[in-house]
Amino acid sequence: METYQYPKSQELFKRAAGVIPCGIYGHYSPAPLVPATSYPFYTSRAEGARFWDVDGNEFIDYMCAYGPMVLGYNHPQIDKAAMDQIKKGNCTTGAPGVMVELAEYMVDLISGVDWVSFAKNGGDMTNYATMIARDATGRKKTIMIRGGYHGVSPWMQAPGHHGTMEDDSKNIIRVKWNNFADIERAVDENPDNIASFIATPYYVPAFEDNELPEDGYWKKVEALCRKKGIVLILDDIRHGFRLDMRGSHRYFGFEPDLICFCKAIANGYPISALMGTSALKESTARIFYTGSYWFQSEPMGAALATLKELKKIDGPKIMQETGKKLMDGLVDLAKTYGYDLKVSGIPSMPYLRITNDESLMLHQDWCAECTMRGAYFTSHHNWFISTAHEDKDIQKTLEIADEAFKAVKKKYGDRF
Amino acid sequence: MEHELIKARLNLYAVLKNLEELVKYDSEMAELSKNWNLSIQFLVRGGPKAYIEFEGGGCRVARGKHYAPSIKLFFLSPAHLNRMMDGKGNPIPLKGFTKIPFLTGDFAKLTDRLEYYLKPTEDRLKEKAYLELNTRFTLNTAAFALREIGELDPVGKQVASHIPDGAVLMKILPDGPAVNISFQDGQIAPGIGETSRPMACMFMKDIQVANDFLNAKIDAFTAIASGDVTIKGQIPMLDSLSLILDRIPMYLT
Repeated sequence: METYQYPKSQELFKRAAGVIPCGIYGHYSPAPLVPATSYPFYTSRAEGARFWDVDGNEFIDYMCAYGPMVLGYNHPQIDKAAMDQIKKGNCTTGAPGVMVELAEYMVDLISGVDWVSFAKNGGDMTNYATMIARDATGRKKTIMIRGGYHGVSPWMQAPGHHGTMEDDSKNIIRVKWNNFADIERAVDENPDNIASFIATPYYVPAFEDNELPEDGYWKKVEALCRKKGIVLILDDIRHGFRLDMRGSHRYFGFEPDLICFCKAIANGYPISALMGTSALKESTARIFYTGSYWFQSEPMGAALATLKELKKIDGPKIMQETGKKLMDGLVDLAKTYGYDLKVSGIPSMPYLRITNDESLMLHQDWCAECTMRGAYFTSHHNWFISTAHEDKDIQKTLEIADEAFKAVKKKYGDRF
Repeated sequence: MEHELIKARLNLYAVLKNLEELVKYDSEMAELSKNWNLSIQFLVRGGPKAYIEFEGGGCRVARGKHYAPSIKLFFLSPAHLNRMMDGKGNPIPLKGFTKIPFLTGDFAKLTDRLEYYLKPTEDRLKEKAYLELNTRFTLNTAAFALREIGELDPVGKQVASHIPDGAVLMKILPDGPAVNISFQDGQIAPGIGETSRPMACMFMKDIQVANDFLNAKIDAFTAIASGDVTIKGQIPMLDSLSLILDRIPMYLT
């Protein structure tokens, strides 16, 4: 099996670095891809569960654009729904009618909520949610999970990061995931001053095993929030529609006050949603919050079509089954080489790590070797499965993984 | 006050630390110091203590008190020490009055030489030997500064508190120089040279790349993507380390 080279990606990157700060920024930055030179940076086209880079290399995609691709790239039905809206007028004076249709559909679809607002990115909504909580409670502070990710606003970033000031985190209290006592302590130490608690359905840090909530964790959090008048915000941006079509809170059995969605909501079209209970509708209405493109009809049409299709085919079930098939195959393969491949999280968005080397270097090498053979694996982040991943993709991926295990075994011998 | 204290610790524990390698790699300074056999104790009221020991052609800069220093220099405050390091003040000698000519003569030549290497100009950096030593000293200063910023700077302390146990290796390819920084139970221990089982590594392609990278002439993300700098292992350790290192210019210019 030949390994890929990326001369055109590197050439484009050099040009990019001249005119774009750090070439490619944010979560698309090649920096956490180890080594970066084993990965493609630029895509030329995509179809189904695959994409082709500018060097013509073909990849089975297990990052799915870091989550938004859920039904497959260039999905005809979704693209048509988007195009239908574009033909009518995409960014017009006056909100589009499809917005109401989408809102009604989502309020029916998602469990326990009564209204929805739309924006573009996940961070728009996590920020909005905390503002609503502050307005509704008249309190200042937000509790979040240490290592949790809710976007890039200054308050969401850990202290010390460039462009943030110490004051940005003044009203943020960070607690450990799955540690209810830590939350209780934060609440006790700040009587009547906690506006909200925000967390993802389960813990999805980078470079670390993902962690599901312990039994009863969410129920206890919910009860504490109710008792203390704290707004419970679920950041379902990454997990949403890969665990349960009714929202990931149904998967884990609790009822949040506000839920943020993005990523899988529209199969790659730019839209995010904040949903909430009727008790918070008035506070939400009072807050002025908007953006130039938040009323685009195209992504709303795409979102409506995506959600309907995902519901029709039971997308989360398909993705979890496909993910499990792949994970089982990879874990078994790893064993034959003497490697313990640990899978954490839910199979539709698994995080993998070869535990034989705690520095992660062995795992990073294996992921890089897979990528250079056509299975796009990152080593730092949870992967994403889509409904477009088929058995033939899984089979091909296992063949690639086998070759990659051989390559790392050759490199490291019996060191691990 | 805190700022002056951190700066004083950086000056003593990170900047002066480079004297050890200056007498090793600069032939003129090696010749100058080869017969020195004495020690200088730095005492700062409300601040750090360190000593420089010359013996058998070698130099050792260490934290704390020397058992029998030849010269004792006292500073009324961290700011006093910093003024001296900036060439704007003088220490108060407590011991070794007969060696004052040495301090103002040969020893001053040594420290002037260190300053020369630590204050590069574009012209100086065109000389290979200068580039190599400037890069080596910059790398060493970064490694040893990391401990001080990680222990004292409020933000640095917070960032350091989340770094998991293990060692980080920073190496210039192909054959060094290299530094390692060990994190263990909240303690930060820098060292010169490699470490056998690092948890995270940063390799800089060559001296020129390293110099540009360490002096922030190229941004880290671009350098990594282009392969000029390679990172591997527990990348969050390197991320945190980078956030701490980025605070050095707040204290040392």
